[in-house]
Amino acid sequence: MMMMDSFWRFWSFSGPLRTRQGLRYLFKMSLAVSLRRALLVLLSGAIFILTVLYWNQGGGKTQAYSEALERPHSHKDGTAFPIPVEKFWTYKCENDRCMRVSYHAGKTAKRVSFITCSMTCGYVNIWPAPTIKSLVSAQTTSFSLEIVQLEMDTPHREVRKQLQLSFDSFLKDLRQIQRLDYAASPAEMGESESSSWSSNNDMVGAATSGQRRSGGLESLLVKISVQKSGDVDFSLDNDESYQLSTMTESHRLLVEIKANSFFGARHGLSTLQQLIWFDDEDHMLHTYVNSKVKDAPKFRYRGLMLDTSRHFFSLEAIKRTIMGMGLAKLNRFHWHLTDAQSFPYISRNYPELAEHGAYSESETYTEQDVREVADFARIHGVQVIPEIDAPAHAGNGWDWGPKRGMGELAVCINQQPWSFYCGEPPCGQLNPKNNHTYLILQRLYEELLLATGPTDLFHLGGDEVNLDCWAQYFNDTDLRGLWCDFMLQAMARLKMANNGVSPKYLAVWSSALTNTKCLPNSQFTVQVWGGSTWQENYDLLDNGYNVIFSHVDAWYLDCGFGSWRSTGEAACSPYRTWQNVYKHRPWERMRLDKKRRKQVLGGEACLWTEQVDENQLDNRLWPRAGALGERLWSDPSDDHDLDIMAPEVFRRISLFRTRLVELGIKAEALFPKYCAQNPGECI
Amino acid sequence: MKWLIIIWILLVLNAAGGTKWLCSRSTVCTPENRKLQGEKYRVARFESQRDCRLSCGKYGAVWPMPTGPGISLSHSRVHFDPQEMQFSVEAPSEAATQFLHETRRLFVANLLRECARDCTVASSARIVVLATVISGSLVLDWRTHENYKLAINSTLGNGTVVHIQATTVYGARHAFETLSNLVTGSVTRGLLLVSNVLISDRPCYPHRGLLLDTARHFMPLQHVRRTLDGMAASKMNVLHWHVVDAHSFPLEITRVPQMQLYGAYSSAQTYSRKQVVELMKYARLRGIRIIVEIDGPSHTNSGWQWGPDEGLGELSVCLQRSPWESPCASPPCGQLNPMNDNVYAVLKAIFRQVAEMGAPEETVHMGGDEVQLSCWNSSMQIQEKMLSQGYNLSEKSFLHLWAQFHRRNLLAWDEINRSEHPDIPEPKPVILWSSLLTNPDTIERHLPKERFIIQTWVDPHDSLNRKLLELGYRIIVSNANFWYLDHGFGHAKTMYHNWRTVYEADMPDISEAQLVLGGEVCLWTESVDQNTLESRIWPRAGAAAERLWANPVESTVLIERRFYRYRERLLDRGIQAEAVAPRFCVLNEKLCDDPYFVY
Repeated sequence: MMMMDSFWRFWSFSGPLRTRQGLRYLFKMSLAVSLRRALLVLLSGAIFILTVLYWNQGGGKTQAYSEALERPHSHKDGTAFPIPVEKFWTYKCENDRCMRVSYHAGKTAKRVSFITCSMTCGYVNIWPAPTIKSLVSAQTTSFSLEIVQLEMDTPHREVRKQLQLSFDSFLKDLRQIQRLDYAASPAEMGESESSSWSSNNDMVGAATSGQRRSGGLESLLVKISVQKSGDVDFSLDNDESYQLSTMTESHRLLVEIKANSFFGARHGLSTLQQLIWFDDEDHMLHTYVNSKVKDAPKFRYRGLMLDTSRHFFSLEAIKRTIMGMGLAKLNRFHWHLTDAQSFPYISRNYPELAEHGAYSESETYTEQDVREVADFARIHGVQVIPEIDAPAHAGNGWDWGPKRGMGELAVCINQQPWSFYCGEPPCGQLNPKNNHTYLILQRLYEELLLATGPTDLFHLGGDEVNLDCWAQYFNDTDLRGLWCDFMLQAMARLKMANNGVSPKYLAVWSSALTNTKCLPNSQFTVQVWGGSTWQENYDLLDNGYNVIFSHVDAWYLDCGFGSWRSTGEAACSPYRTWQNVYKHRPWERMRLDKKRRKQVLGGEACLWTEQVDENQLDNRLWPRAGALGERLWSDPSDDHDLDIMAPEVFRRISLFRTRLVELGIKAEALFPKYCAQNPGECI
Repeated sequence: MKWLIIIWILLVLNAAGGTKWLCSRSTVCTPENRKLQGEKYRVARFESQRDCRLSCGKYGAVWPMPTGPGISLSHSRVHFDPQEMQFSVEAPSEAATQFLHETRRLFVANLLRECARDCTVASSARIVVLATVISGSLVLDWRTHENYKLAINSTLGNGTVVHIQATTVYGARHAFETLSNLVTGSVTRGLLLVSNVLISDRPCYPHRGLLLDTARHFMPLQHVRRTLDGMAASKMNVLHWHVVDAHSFPLEITRVPQMQLYGAYSSAQTYSRKQVVELMKYARLRGIRIIVEIDGPSHTNSGWQWGPDEGLGELSVCLQRSPWESPCASPPCGQLNPMNDNVYAVLKAIFRQVAEMGAPEETVHMGGDEVQLSCWNSSMQIQEKMLSQGYNLSEKSFLHLWAQFHRRNLLAWDEINRSEHPDIPEPKPVILWSSLLTNPDTIERHLPKERFIIQTWVDPHDSLNRKLLELGYRIIVSNANFWYLDHGFGHAKTMYHNWRTVYEADMPDISEAQLVLGGEVCLWTESVDQNTLESRIWPRAGAAAERLWANPVESTVLIERRFYRYRERLLDRGIQAEAVAPRFCVLNEKLCDDPYFVY
């Protein structure tokens, strides 16, 4: 016992106490006259030594032993509550919000879980909010996944095929939610579990958590009807409206989704998913007995841009992003595939681009990868729009021309001092006077169009050309004209790549060039990334361009992390909160007339990735991109001041965020968990 | 002899093929075929950027930078298999020896993560690590010596010998940490070690901490452990565990189970006493103390609601008062009732458990921030009792009451420690946040300087730090304008502090330097849960770690490449550190630098 040193003593909080006791016994033993007492001491000593031995092996039992030593018996082991903490609370609906009140097990009333209260209290919890009608019954019912069936009513084979895929994905998500049995999960919620979900994702069948219970329903039939359009290709003319109704008759729930196209029907499924929740009280899926939703988006283009050049992102991360977009009813994934920093795309025709431009062999996308993403996105109602930025924002990957006898494909690559020749290191700009450059672009367009499918919108990049860079090489007096010619040539090449048809909307970033009228407004759409109060907003509309808003002061999700370079100002601090994203309604502030309002195709949030890699992707995007989703889908009117948010919006986005997390998206927290558990108390 | 080794190594490296890397005099690593204009390169050639970084620049890839005196790193390497390393540890006590064996185990595990592909090497160099520790004690507090010396000698005949000498095991573990910074994966297989090294090192400040708030959001233990891993990699030594707050009380208090029952978010979102003890053991092995904070009298609500039901009266007042703005700084409201004796009994039970869970020498943080006197003043019961005890209702009176609250808890703490650790005669100081109570003009009236350490959260140039130091108070610096890692996400219009800002935070420049125990970066978790935890903390906490370890004069421009390497090391160890620059700029050193910056 005396050999016990301070180190090991420390490992047990009661160690010193035991040692002291041992000392006392030893002391007493030396004085002992009673054999019985000596025996007792020996016995206790033996127990003690055994204990020490056991505990040095890392056994957990000693702990209980030592705790029992020093604690009165009335103290219960904290890991075994009389009732789990959450069962200690119930929720009641008061003035459209759920109040947490203490609950005593003996009561006759059933305990109401937070989620069930939230889903049946106040506003209908759908994000983004339906625009025409949404009604749900007060009465709810429970069911298990295996009774869910699909019936499709459509004359279009392709639509049928796509719907089946979307429905499978819907079921997969429900299965995942069901698996997240919070009450039953151990204290260590974390990655180990999340990875086990994903590995189980392709399991067929339903509930894996616990025993099967049937719930209140005998059958749940989802009937989807798409009559009008057989289109499964994306265009801004897609009819995304849908109607959803559910009704229950003698334990049979019928869900009817009616839409004019696959895209509308898919949104209907996404809404249905949000009408279903998993209750941790009875461990069943729940939904309303009756509901009616009629819905159509306010804007056609609801985008999210990801830059995969400043940092590379895996297919898994991209797919996760698209999954979130589907839930938020965002419909355009703008893939800023390449930039001056890296060229991760392996072109079939020109593999040299990636060979010279990718960060590493593994940090690349093949044509097949792009196709895989596009197919996955379609299931979630999302179109993939790839962008090969040109002529600026292109450098690394374009340096092999001379070696192959093709001349300089790009100039100013990594040129120093960079601040003369580009806005951000490294520099690089395509060579506007090399026919090979255009040919390569054409081939790239061809490959990407093939991988992502027919489209009426394509992005040509076209921003931030540094004329001083070109001025070193070309004697033209009108360098801006050179830039314009480049864009027109790119347009011509795109047309060739697209079987002689120019997509109806050719998107370019706003720039000095779009302030002139050199790009025909009948063909070019401008993605406006400048400040929302800049004059260019008005000018572009006056000049007849269609626009997509991506205002840096509201919808740049990368802002707020300071300057990544050692000197210079942070580009666009501060951070845009989800409230900033949500509150931004440039079309209202600009007081656009009907005609100009029609020129606004929609909006897009941008994530540039100088300071983001795969680890932070989810929390940079979510739930803020979700806020954009509602702004563009529902465009709710908002009379509040800048910092005030309707409590109802807080409650709905909080649940939306929970849904994202349930699907494995690491969305940022909106407020302390306390505030999520006690709606309204922190607002 | 040395030449022979270098030649041999060059031969080995050449055999590996691929582009070689060069190190320039201004510490830039560049591939041989892409030399930069204006850079003067040394002759040594390296197999990769990481290999180059190992010895390019005075501090190589060691983070935080060693403080010397004397540091030298050779450009030659030893190619080895981590499983073939031999260790011999020497310490005067069995406990210290045990500790060093554990340190070695952790060290080897970290080395294995450095291997690019395969760790095995057919003909590994012979490496023997000899670690000697002078003291057998495992006490870790502000007086613990964390210094160490590390020497690596490679000779052709005798292989490589690594000598580690330290006063305590904690210094030795830092030496192992440094040693792991002198290793990188080889492009072929196995590892490379800088073959000749001399480093002596000691921290500038004994308190290099990180505050983690697990009340606004619960953090699963596995995430807390990973946070400790990151701290260990950064030689940080204090986890200030803000375990409870008004929002939740996840900690099991065995004598008062109501705290957790009423206060935890759910049964899964709790820390049992046993788990905490194990966590403390986990931290200790990584050279880290865990100082538990039981915040009070403010920031108390969840867990304190049950008083009236069980006949103990109101333990906390102003609970769930709406609108919350008036009686508290942030929702939910609540402030302990200083006139209720049962509050002190409950607190004593909590402190007793804190004492039992921690090491004998460990102390406690008693919070004490953001008390709203108006809350107490709004309670009729408190008013009556105060008047009956001869107080009036002036601000001075309430301040007195507040100070009384802390002193009474301190007495309880002393009593607990006397009975728990009678062999530690000296009473231990406790920590409090700076507040109205620590106003330099009146602090001496309220809080004796021998017993209270003040953690300040003001700007480093605020006069508070200077004045407290002049009065003789010990302080821990956590200025909100540099070291609050949660800032910048929309709360109260704060700005994000990027790693450069964190790094450049000055420590109080004052003659009473020994009174500055150190500092802490703080992560409050209003909008951070386990999903964002790691990227909020890392790598920025590492920037503070170097500030506290070395208090360097260098600007961030010169250390940025070493910092990038540090961040990658965190990633290799499974910590999801935030990206700080485009990958291009990490891979292509100097190409993204400001062309006009004068070194």
